[in-house]
Amino acid sequence: MVNANANALGILFPNSYDTLVPELTAERLMASIPFAGRYRLVDFVLSGMMNAGIDNISLIVRKNYHSLMDHLGSGREWDLTRKNGGLNLVPPFSGKAVKVYNGKVEALANIVEFLKSQKEKYVVLSDTHIIGNLDFKKLINAHIESGADVTMAYQEAEIPEEWKDQALGSEMHYSLEIQDGRVEKILVNSKRPGLRNLSLNVYVMNRELLIEQVERAFVLGYVYLERDILAPNLDKLDVRAYRFDGYVVRIRGLRSYFDENMKLLDDENLDALFSGNRICTKIRDDNPTRYIKDARAENVLVADGCMIEGEVGNSILFRGVRIEKGAKVKNCILMQDTVVRANVEMEYVISDKNVTITEGQQIRGSASFPVYVAKAKVV
Amino acid sequence: MEKEMIAMLLAGGQGSRLYALTQKLAKPAVPFGGKYRIIDFPLSNCVNSGIDTVGVLTQYQPLELNEYIGNGQPWDLDRLYGGVHVLPPYQKAEGSDWYKGTANAIYQNISFIERYNPKYVIILSGDQICKQDYSDFLKFHKEKEAEFSVAVMEVPWEEAPRFGLMVTDENGRITEFQEKPKNPKSNLASMGIYIFNWDILKKYLIEDEADPNSENDFGNNIIPNLLKDERAMYAYPFSGYWKDVGTIPSLWEANMEVLDPEHSGINLFDEDWKIYSRNSGMPGHRICPGGEVFNSMITDGCRISGRVRHSILFAGVRVEEGAQVEDAVVMGKAIIKAGAVVEHCIVAENAIIGPGAVVGAMPSGDEDGVATIGPGVEIGPRAKVGPKAMIYKDVKEGEEQW
Repeated sequence: MVNANANALGILFPNSYDTLVPELTAERLMASIPFAGRYRLVDFVLSGMMNAGIDNISLIVRKNYHSLMDHLGSGREWDLTRKNGGLNLVPPFSGKAVKVYNGKVEALANIVEFLKSQKEKYVVLSDTHIIGNLDFKKLINAHIESGADVTMAYQEAEIPEEWKDQALGSEMHYSLEIQDGRVEKILVNSKRPGLRNLSLNVYVMNRELLIEQVERAFVLGYVYLERDILAPNLDKLDVRAYRFDGYVVRIRGLRSYFDENMKLLDDENLDALFSGNRICTKIRDDNPTRYIKDARAENVLVADGCMIEGEVGNSILFRGVRIEKGAKVKNCILMQDTVVRANVEMEYVISDKNVTITEGQQIRGSASFPVYVAKAKVV
Repeated sequence: MEKEMIAMLLAGGQGSRLYALTQKLAKPAVPFGGKYRIIDFPLSNCVNSGIDTVGVLTQYQPLELNEYIGNGQPWDLDRLYGGVHVLPPYQKAEGSDWYKGTANAIYQNISFIERYNPKYVIILSGDQICKQDYSDFLKFHKEKEAEFSVAVMEVPWEEAPRFGLMVTDENGRITEFQEKPKNPKSNLASMGIYIFNWDILKKYLIEDEADPNSENDFGNNIIPNLLKDERAMYAYPFSGYWKDVGTIPSLWEANMEVLDPEHSGINLFDEDWKIYSRNSGMPGHRICPGGEVFNSMITDGCRISGRVRHSILFAGVRVEEGAQVEDAVVMGKAIIKAGAVVEHCIVAENAIIGPGAVVGAMPSGDEDGVATIGPGVEIGPRAKVGPKAMIYKDVKEGEEQW
């Protein structure tokens, strides 16, 4: 039986690019990093797939996945509690060779038998550090119509600052050289200036081809799908490019995490990210946010469940944040259940979940170097 | 397998005194408190009290209510055995009938109740805002070895004649029932929430159905019959927040009380007694540059560029530049256009208040009406809607309605 809406299954790599933001992934993984007030990064790709009718999604996790399990639950919020398919969290399998994977080839090698037993003709692969409101149906249809072996989604954008002085051995990013829709060359960690075709790390592949390539590559000791399978075989494989012109958020480090959140305080950006697929997330059943008496708020994005008695400006508040009387919060990102006690003054701070800033504290970061307060810390 | 207690929730009320709000909507589905609907309160109370089987009796305009309840998952009432079930009147071999009264609605669903073979049945009402632990109520019922118990609220004596009153002895046993009496002998008002032993309820429902002169109503027929037979009937005193939101002023007032939980006693910020609802799924709300919010409750999807004071905004409401909103209840996805003034009123879902329009007015002297704009109604630019108006249809540009 194959889903009538989408002849494709989804595979996500929630741990990919964890090392980009060591602060935020200390106790979680990339996919479960909170973003945009009430979401986690993984919500965007899951919602996109769900809207395209993909209801068979596997997440191959490596470590630190408790927060992701908690977030996803049974997958109900994304309508993924299905008898056939549904949500499938794949932890590292302890057995003859306990091996925690590095690249996608190793990750996929773990689930080759699963892939063989599935019926869908296509596989959509995605990382979670690059998000957008992608129409996966269009992407899959483009892949089918072109008859390609692989279709890679990309955006046209400048190479980000962070990549220009990147050390060897850090996370890999890919830019594409495209001719008539075909990918001619995949550049790894290119630093060439100007507008480039940056990979969104979203690929559509024929399932059988993926299995074949992964089995072959695994035997040869290959690690990375892009570097080791796609890039060297562009003459043999028909790899096409799919251009995405929508709003793209690319997490590259803690600073870009801060900036990408702050950019959503521009309504144009917020609307761009949230138009198209409805983005679903875990429901917390918070009450509406309450602005009490002397509260002042300007230019903020605020989730439900907050209690605001102090002043807050240019900030993003996640669910259940409390800002007490006399506190002044500016240019901050306060994650779930952060408590800012009376008369605190803070600027350019990212507070992780359950942080408490005690009465009268003053914390200041700067736009180029926001202060990060780790999960559950009391300052 | 039998259940200790199941709930039957009377949700068929038309809510005719809510006028414009209930033209196409059953009263229990009326939005309340920023992100809830009235029915979220009894449903959440049930699940928080450990009741996992609820029959919802619907009759009037059930579409939106049915869709809202769905499989009951938001209230954790999607169960293999039990859960929430919507029970509209249905056709039977011997004919079909609308629900003739509250008692008849339960009578027609005796077979539903029998499937769970409960010891007790709690009858709830779908038009009240109340946080109540029904398990405490059941404990009382068992301790008194009652056959019937009713939850009662102490009301001021001068208001007592507006209520159904329970006259009790020193043990809380009910000796007399007075329906809206001129000379009240008690100030214990019935909240319309009853616990019955199922065998007793069943017997009286069948007898009541056989009586051609009966109105098939709990207050008018069942309770008097129980009294007549000197059944063990007790009044359970409840002292928390309780409000019948059957009228526009009381609905508005209850919403305003949500803004002041410290004094009103209706605290939605209660981790131990959450009120569940179906989620709007919108991103967080925005207070844009130039927007101001004072003493208000704002939920997901709102976008505020104007000034909001002492108001409740539901999901997806927009308040444009220069618009002013005060003492207002603005329901889902309503749009208050630039420069509009919206005061002391209820604006229903999807209504559009045109640029520069004026809706309602702050009370002055003896003028203190709550203007009401019905769902989807469009108020034209610079139109004026008076403080007592009830608007069902679009108001054209520059027109006035009082």
